[in-house]
Amino acid sequence: MGCAAAAGALLLTITGCAGTGPAAADVDLGPGPAVAGQVKKGALDGVTLTFTSYGGIYQDGQEAAAVKPFASESGAKVLSDGPTDYTKVKAQVDAKNVTWDVVDADTLWAKRQCGKMFMPLDKDIVDTSKLPKGTEDKCSVPAMSYGVVLMYDKKKFGDNPPKDWADFLDTKKYPGKRAIPGFASDAAPGALEAALISDGVAPDKLYPLDVDRALKKLTSVRSSLVFWDTGARSQQLLESGEVSMAMVWSGRAYSAVKNGAHFAPQWNQFLPVSDSLAVPVGARNPKAAMALINYYLGAAQQTKLTELTSYSPINTDAKPKLDTLATQYLTTTPERQAQALQVDNDWWAKNQEQVIQKWSDWLAR
Amino acid sequence: MTALIEIASPATGGRPRKGAGGRWGWLLLPSLVLLAVLFLVPLGLMVWRSVSEPTPGAANYSWFFTSDVALATLVRTLTVGAVVTLVTLVLSYPYAYLMTVVGARARIWLTLLVLLPFWTSLMVRTFAWVVLLQDSGVVNQILGTVGLGPLQLIRTPTGVVIGMSQVLMPFMVLPLYAVMSGIDRRLLDAAQGMGARPAIAFLRVFVPLSLPGVGAGALTVFITSLGFYVTPALLGSPDQALISQQIFTQVNGLLAWGRGGAMGVVLLAVTLVLLGLVGVVLRLTRGRGGAR
Repeated sequence: MGCAAAAGALLLTITGCAGTGPAAADVDLGPGPAVAGQVKKGALDGVTLTFTSYGGIYQDGQEAAAVKPFASESGAKVLSDGPTDYTKVKAQVDAKNVTWDVVDADTLWAKRQCGKMFMPLDKDIVDTSKLPKGTEDKCSVPAMSYGVVLMYDKKKFGDNPPKDWADFLDTKKYPGKRAIPGFASDAAPGALEAALISDGVAPDKLYPLDVDRALKKLTSVRSSLVFWDTGARSQQLLESGEVSMAMVWSGRAYSAVKNGAHFAPQWNQFLPVSDSLAVPVGARNPKAAMALINYYLGAAQQTKLTELTSYSPINTDAKPKLDTLATQYLTTTPERQAQALQVDNDWWAKNQEQVIQKWSDWLAR
Repeated sequence: MTALIEIASPATGGRPRKGAGGRWGWLLLPSLVLLAVLFLVPLGLMVWRSVSEPTPGAANYSWFFTSDVALATLVRTLTVGAVVTLVTLVLSYPYAYLMTVVGARARIWLTLLVLLPFWTSLMVRTFAWVVLLQDSGVVNQILGTVGLGPLQLIRTPTGVVIGMSQVLMPFMVLPLYAVMSGIDRRLLDAAQGMGARPAIAFLRVFVPLSLPGVGAGALTVFITSLGFYVTPALLGSPDQALISQQIFTQVNGLLAWGRGGAMGVVLLAVTLVLLGLVGVVLRLTRGRGGAR
């Protein structure tokens, strides 16, 4: 068992790596439709799965809330790996030697790779009835939820806080540096939407995104922009007070404020984002992998995940107990949802590659 | 010890005796096999991907040479490498010289001072620079007290050069020291005996003799700097990306392994061409200097 995880591809071809558990067809997950958060006792005895995510508190939380209880109930042995790396997914799928069974990946990427890197989920195994509307996809389900949110310096703008993304990029009205995501190898909802809103586009007329217009707008304020490309860095920018406003992930915003950063969120027009769980094409035991995903989506598991990580739960029945500050950063409450900017994930998934190319070219200019 | 110094410094003269490797040559076999499997095969795959993905042909290369951004990144990478080389040379030359003139105990301390950071994880050192160089960091606080206002150091090419120079300094100091410690001091005395002032003796006798160390150090630092990823990623800004970061974008963000491969091949080719040029220059200067 687990020899696939330990041995390199070279060794695998030599030893054949026999005995990775019952074949997919042998798994009996019990009668009746699946219920999120449940798995038949002992159904996966002798099966080994590998769960891959981004590490840190996030993956620790996922393991404590869902992966470990799943292993003890189902009898499966679940290994952990990470961080998720798209090239590794591609390498495994291309080489037809897939060692990752459940992968936590960016939602847009999972959408984009549906049918290529990831296989369709069997809705008889994965119960999606408790997911917020519009969040499930053919090949993936959300793993949690958070937001891209506007944070502003309370000391500077406390009396007259910025109201929306137009104010965020208005450097005359609100002087100072702005931190925005600057991933050269990635582009996601956020900066481009903010630029277009600031350039006068109505929030409900954003899509299809006019990327060139957005970049032109960003160029005009480029000297005031500071780019961050790790969550830790964005948090550090808030805590050190180097910027007067920032577009950051809500989880990092919460951590920064908890550490004493003098910032407050403006939730109006925040962009909801999430990670997703998916099963790579060629996974050795797709049924078992999907059973793990189904278990992960349970209300109890999602409640615990939120309490451990401060990410928002994606099961509508989950009722996490949080301190006052953490409650303020939940993104899935009805009142927050009403403030959210409607992001067209389908447009993003379809056009992300071209956007990344344009975005990274613009960044490097 | 002699052997070590000989390897490190062409200046002390002798190349290994011919035929010395003959009897023991087979000892090289394991490392050659390792090199073939772990280096040549992946390199071959990279070249192959660069001409076969997504479609066979030279499309990835024509993309590279017609993309303003890709070319600008290549130039930026070479420029940063050259500046880092210059900075480490300027800092390391007097340092290595000092190492040759102090006593044995002080030399141990000086060596430790270079090597200690070298033994520390690259990530740790880079994060330390992030803390030091940020707008509200120690460096800017000190600059503030002397009235030099906060300078933006992090997320600029300056920050990248500072971080990379510190990381690469041992690669400059050690070859310099190896060559300098082999220079016969009596030559300086002789020059002064012939009437040269100390500064002139140093410039006309010591510096030329130390040039092989400068060459070895500069080459190592420059070529190593071309492949740097972590330091520019953390200390630089995404809008000042070096070629390694652009390769990451292509390979990881876009899964365009062909383009990433082509960028790698171009970088390798540029490095080899530069190496060749330096080799030619070195041979010319050595020829002019005559046999020692």
